[in-house]
Amino acid sequence: MNACMDCAVRDKAICNSLAEDQLAELNRIGRHQVVKRGQALVWQGDESLLVGNVLEGALKLSVSSADGRDQTLGVVLPSDFIGRPFGATSMHSVIALTDARVCTFSRSAFDTFAQEHPSLEHGLLERTLTDLDRARQWMMMLARKSAGERVAIFLLHIAKRHETYGEEPLRFELPLSRQDMADLLGLTIETVSRQITRLREEGIIETPSRRAIIVLDQDALEACTGEA
Amino acid sequence: MPRYTSYPTAAEFREGVGAADYQAALAQVTGDVSLYVHIPFCREICWYCGCNTGRANRKQRLVNYLDALHREIALVGARLPSTARVRRLAFGGGSPNAITPTDFVRLVMALTQMFRLDDPVVSVELDPRTFDRQWATALAGIGVQRASLGVQTFDPAAQAAIGRVQPYALIEDCTALLRTAGVTSLNFDLMYGLPGQDWHVLEATLEQTQALAADRVALFGYAHVPHLLPRQRRIDGTALPDQAQRFAMAALGHDWLVCNGFVPVGFDHFARQGDPLAAAAQAGTLQRNFQGFTDDDAPVLIGLGASAISCFPDLLVQNEKNAGHYRAMLEQDLVPCARGVRRSQDDRLRGDVIERLLCHGRARLAPQLWREAAANLRGFRERALVSLSDGELIIAPDGLPYARTIAASFDSYRQPATRRFSSAV
Repeated sequence: MNACMDCAVRDKAICNSLAEDQLAELNRIGRHQVVKRGQALVWQGDESLLVGNVLEGALKLSVSSADGRDQTLGVVLPSDFIGRPFGATSMHSVIALTDARVCTFSRSAFDTFAQEHPSLEHGLLERTLTDLDRARQWMMMLARKSAGERVAIFLLHIAKRHETYGEEPLRFELPLSRQDMADLLGLTIETVSRQITRLREEGIIETPSRRAIIVLDQDALEACTGEA
Repeated sequence: MPRYTSYPTAAEFREGVGAADYQAALAQVTGDVSLYVHIPFCREICWYCGCNTGRANRKQRLVNYLDALHREIALVGARLPSTARVRRLAFGGGSPNAITPTDFVRLVMALTQMFRLDDPVVSVELDPRTFDRQWATALAGIGVQRASLGVQTFDPAAQAAIGRVQPYALIEDCTALLRTAGVTSLNFDLMYGLPGQDWHVLEATLEQTQALAADRVALFGYAHVPHLLPRQRRIDGTALPDQAQRFAMAALGHDWLVCNGFVPVGFDHFARQGDPLAAAAQAGTLQRNFQGFTDDDAPVLIGLGASAISCFPDLLVQNEKNAGHYRAMLEQDLVPCARGVRRSQDDRLRGDVIERLLCHGRARLAPQLWREAAANLRGFRERALVSLSDGELIIAPDGLPYARTIAASFDSYRQPATRRFSSAV
C-alpha cells in the first residue's frame, strides 16, 4: 500500500512530478512522523541531517543562540518542503505549533533519489530557491519591520496559502495561538493583540473567534506590511 | 617569498591559539563583517594546483563535509552579536560548484538564517567545466554579482600539460550563462610560466580574455614545487620556461593589460576601468586578504569550512585543515579552530606597511621602521628602486616587480637567509 497515493498535499508537494511507481520508491526512503503540538521533530538515533515535506499542521523552524535565546527562522505549512537541512545539531529545531504530520527523509538519501529523477531534482532546486526567498523575507521582517508590519506580513503569509486567496472576504483559521504568534514575530502577546485590534477597528479584518480571521480588504492589509 | 595575504603569515600560526581566542573575538564583533566559505572539493584535481582541495568523487564525503559546514554556520552564527552585519559573502575552494546547486542554495539559506546578512556582495569561484544551467539558475536566484573562473590558459597544449582541458567554447558558454544570471564583475584567473608557454601563447590567452569581456584578470606565476606538491610531478619540469622568460611574461602581460584598458591592482591583479576593484586601486582603498587584492574594507573576516582562516584586528585563527578532524570537532559542537596567532601592536604596524606596499607601492613609516628600512633597503635605494622621503617609503615603477621582496624586509619573522618559499616571479 502506497501512502503517497492518499497524500493530502500530493498535487502541491515537491514530489508532484513523480509517477506512481517512483512515488512508491520515494515512500520507501521516507518516514511519516506525527509530531504533537510543542514537540520537536527529530529522527531518533540518526546523525544525518534531514529534509521534509509538511503534510498537515504548522511547524516553526527555530534556532537557539549561545546565550540561550530562541529565534524563529520561519513557519512551514502543508505542502511546504523543509529544504534547509535540520536535525542532529543541538541548536536547530523544527517544532510543531499544532499537531502535525511530516514526511521526512535523510538529506543524502533524498538528494540521491533526486539526482536519479531529473524532474524532482529541478523541482528541488526551485523549492530551495523559494525557501531562500522566504527565509530572506522572514529575516528582513524580524530585523527591520515594526510590530504592525510584522502582524500584517504574518497574516498575509497564512492567507496566501489558501486556494481562495484573492477573493474577498477570505476566511481562514490561524494555526496557532496569539502567544505563539508573539513568539514567532519577536513581539509580546499584548502587542500582537493590540495590532490585531487595530486592524479590526480599521475594517481590514474581522476576528469572529480566537483563531478565525476574515480578511475584508486585502489591499489595505498589503499596505500595512510596509512594502511597496 | 610569502604572498602576504596576511601578516603574520600562516607560517607563523601556532597551536595554543585557537577556539577560546576565536570565541572571545567573535563576541566582540560589531559593524561590518565579511564571510568566506570554503568548499575544498573539485570534480578533478588539476596537476598544478597548490590549494587544499580533494576530489569530489565520493558522494558521502561531500555529504559529511556539508553537514559539518552547516553545523559550523549554526555554531559561529549563534556566537556573533546581532550588531555584526555581513556585507560580503565569498565562496571559494576548491570549486564551490563541485557541490550541487541545491546544496549551494542551502548553504546560502543557512547563512541567511544564522547571520545578519545586510544586502551583501556575493562572490563565488567557479570551475567552468562543472558549470551548467542549473548552477546559473541558483546564482541568479541568490543574486550573485561577482564570479571568478579558473581559466589559467586558453592554449590547448598548455591545458593538456597541466591536466586542465577546457575548450574556449566551454568558457564562452559559461561566461554567457553568468552574464545572463546577473554577474556584473567577472574575473578570469590566468597563469604564466606554464609548460611550453611563451609570450605569444600568453598573449593569445589575453586576447581571448578580452574577447570574452572579463572585468578582472588575476595573472599568477606557476610555481613548480613538486617536492612540496606531489601532484605537480605529472607536469614536465623540462618544458617550463626559464626565469628570464617568466619575468618577461609577467612584464609583457602587465603592459598588454594596461594598454588594453585594465588598471593594475596590486602586483598580480588587473581590473577594467569602472570595476569596483579598479576603483579601489585608484582611490587608494585597496586591501589585501586571503583571496588576494580586494575592495573589501571590513575589519573582520570570518572563515567557515576546513582550513578557512578568520581575521580580526588582533587575531588570526585557522580552522582544522583535515576534513575528518574538522567534522569530528563539529560533531561535538566544538568550534573547529586548530591554530592561529595573536597580532601584537608591532605586528599590526608592520602588517599595515606590508599591505600598503603591496597594494599601493608606498607606505608611511613609523620612526622605528624608518631606521630599519634605511638599513635593510640600501641596495634598492642605490639602484633607485625605492625612495625614502618625508616619512614615506615609495617604490619606483621599476621597483614594483620587487614589491614582495621590499615588503618582506619589514617581516620580523623572516630573515633573508632563512627564506624558504617559492620565488615570487
